[in-house]
Amino acid sequence: MNYQKEELKQGITLHQIQTQNYKTNLYAIFLATPLKRENVTLDALLAAVLRRGTQNLPSQEEISKKLEMMYGASFDCGIEKTGDNHIMKFYLETLNEEFLPSPENLTKQSIAILLDIVLNPFLENNAFKKEYVKGEKQNLRQIIEGKIDNKSKYAYDRCTEEMFKNKPYGLYKFGYIEDLEAITPQSLYVYYQELLKKCKIDIFVSGKTENNAIKEMITQNEMIQRLQARKPEYVVNNETTEEKQEDSPKETTESMQITQGKLVIGLDVKQTNQNSRFIASVYNAILGGGANSKLFQNVREKQSLAYTANSGYVRTKNSIFIRCGIEIDNYQKALDTIKQQLEDMKKGNFTEEDLQNSKELILSSIEGITEEQDTEITYYYGQELANTFVTIEEYIQKIKEVTKEQVIKLANNIFINTIYFLKD
Amino acid sequence: MKVIESSKIKEKAYIEELENGLKVIIIPKKNTKKKYVIWGTHFGSIDNHFIMPKTGEEVYIPDGVAHFLEHKMFEQPNGTNSLDTLMALGIDANAYTTNDHTAYLFECTNHFEEGLNELMDYVQHPYFTEENVEKEKGIIGQEINMYDDDPAWRLYMNAMDCMYEQNPIKIDIAGTIESISKITPDVLYKCYNTFYHPSNMTMVICGDFQPETMIEEVKKRLLPKENQGVIKRIYPSKENKIHKAFKNEKMEVSTPIFMMGYKDHENIKEDRVKKHIAIEILLNMVIGKSSKTYQELYTDGLLLAQPDMDYEFSDQYAHILISGTSKNPQKVMEQMTQTVNKMLQNGIEEEHFERMRRKVYGDYVVEYNNVGNIARMFLADTMKKVQSFDYIEKFETVTKEYTEQILEEVFQEENKILSIIEPNEK
Repeated sequence: MNYQKEELKQGITLHQIQTQNYKTNLYAIFLATPLKRENVTLDALLAAVLRRGTQNLPSQEEISKKLEMMYGASFDCGIEKTGDNHIMKFYLETLNEEFLPSPENLTKQSIAILLDIVLNPFLENNAFKKEYVKGEKQNLRQIIEGKIDNKSKYAYDRCTEEMFKNKPYGLYKFGYIEDLEAITPQSLYVYYQELLKKCKIDIFVSGKTENNAIKEMITQNEMIQRLQARKPEYVVNNETTEEKQEDSPKETTESMQITQGKLVIGLDVKQTNQNSRFIASVYNAILGGGANSKLFQNVREKQSLAYTANSGYVRTKNSIFIRCGIEIDNYQKALDTIKQQLEDMKKGNFTEEDLQNSKELILSSIEGITEEQDTEITYYYGQELANTFVTIEEYIQKIKEVTKEQVIKLANNIFINTIYFLKD
Repeated sequence: MKVIESSKIKEKAYIEELENGLKVIIIPKKNTKKKYVIWGTHFGSIDNHFIMPKTGEEVYIPDGVAHFLEHKMFEQPNGTNSLDTLMALGIDANAYTTNDHTAYLFECTNHFEEGLNELMDYVQHPYFTEENVEKEKGIIGQEINMYDDDPAWRLYMNAMDCMYEQNPIKIDIAGTIESISKITPDVLYKCYNTFYHPSNMTMVICGDFQPETMIEEVKKRLLPKENQGVIKRIYPSKENKIHKAFKNEKMEVSTPIFMMGYKDHENIKEDRVKKHIAIEILLNMVIGKSSKTYQELYTDGLLLAQPDMDYEFSDQYAHILISGTSKNPQKVMEQMTQTVNKMLQNGIEEEHFERMRRKVYGDYVVEYNNVGNIARMFLADTMKKVQSFDYIEKFETVTKEYTEQILEEVFQEENKILSIIEPNEK
């Protein structure tokens, strides 16, 4: 197997993926902490402030210059919700040394810079630099306000918010304007220090590299040596953290200047079987996975009600979201057609061929996991957070084993939780 | 078969021009499970006036035909849809239309043979009826509405309106609800018969393949077709000046978005790849992550992220585009202009040039990480009459002096435009 993991200290794990398929090596560090209303804004701001400068490279300009000289190494960071965890993600991608016009040790430099950005930030007076915090607060404010810009994404976020009202997963990953103002360079730094003591830390390296040498470089790193072992605080992703409702769905409608309506429907999946997450993947693919799906065929193709009609399964929350872009006047017709598809699924009105097609769709995406470095990292990180280990081969096997009966049984344990419609 | 090679990144491409004129490019990638095939015709939204080689008939077509045709190619006489057939095999299939080409593609790990069968079958068998053409108008109408709501697309279309008065690049790729209402099966067949001739098409295949075998696989699936002469495309005459320097529109956005551009006097004779590399280096020097201008604008809260930078070119148009989000786009443009002027006056700095050169080199190499990227790049470059490996292989020839010369030639004040989308008043 090309994947190896090793705990460096309790709560700090190094994962290495050996692969020959790329021109690049990808390095990543993920910090995981439970999603909490009082912390989401801090997490989002922190990720942004860290990339501004380190003790060794005190400004973004210095960092960029350094990365550019390394043949355009690219650094990226972001914040994501994964189940009930908030994850701060930091990536560095560099060319594999084999493809440089002249030899240079990029691996060593890459690891040093990435660790420096996450663990050795630029400080003044025992706090983050005022100017950086101020600037990033403004930026984050614009990002939060910009939530409305992408209508389809906005409708999806709002449906999630309604569906998980007052629950961790309903929180907006970039946080809240009203919490932003109170954050100071000092309070953010105090939060950061606390976070580094408790969060779950995972380091990933993917590419054509030498495992022992990489491990050596990381364990020798001064910042890594300074980190204490911890019993990491995070929410294991396989656990269901809220009751699934079966009673009448919530309905929310909002208006905006828009010519195409956005309909998003959130579905609860109740577990029926220990393999229910695999069955739910297959259910979702039949319902709205691709061009053969019930939604695409019936909402878009047969009735021309929508330009987009699909569904996605959020494995970590055991929820399915149906998303359609429709003509506003067609709302009721589209909703009825969608409900009819859900009923058809319950009655088993789908063929063995539909089942096979849907499996093929899932299998081809599973086989694609090893074809992209960040996808492969994300896959193994998902396993890590779920506290299970399913190899890609086992995953394929589990999908192949799903039967029509299982899908029907699951379909009868799926309920509409929230209907959200964005119109003019 | 012609073999071209990039020794720096250790990749080869095998190129064969078949008797019927079809160009096939194969880029073998060892160890990858993914396979990617893309088949493109040199027919895009700008090709709206031409002479059919067989009949000599001069044809004007409504806006949006290339895109409409793309949608309709999937439909089969037996009622099936090729997209569904491919999806059913777990094959990820798609198609798209740009200004200068239309492409049909699929990506898979398994069932490659069946995928190739289906792709080559449907692209060679058009099936347009009054009924299926009418039905498509509803679906495409929705797509057009979606584009109308998309601030980024409006921004781009307005930028094109600033650059050009007549150029067909101003045509919305999907057309308008009004223009597509005029599309008939007859129009579609005329375009199909003209532009979907093998001599006007290129196929690119990337994956773990043996090139010679692959060529045979393609050949045996091709239908015989009579040779066809050159398609004469008619475009409005070239415009030297910009149409207007500024355009703005109000939409539902939280912060203004902007697109600034420089129209280029396209010169087909010069080396396009070399020029393109120099322009990318220059754009990175002007507003790249580490540039003074970007750092200042970022610190002042006028830019949140590095703007997107692009150089679009074909035989019919060439322009630089810089776009991003800012609460004060005018100020951003002013600062960028000042930087350009300084560079024009003082020449470019050696260290800065070297840094950006390395960065741009890295950007080109990273493209080779993914079979899909490689195949799409080779197709798009072929349509633009350039050779993809040249971006790596000609890299060393782009000197500081050459780059300075391009700076003077392209970044001219009188060719500058600005398009802005502003928030609605509350």
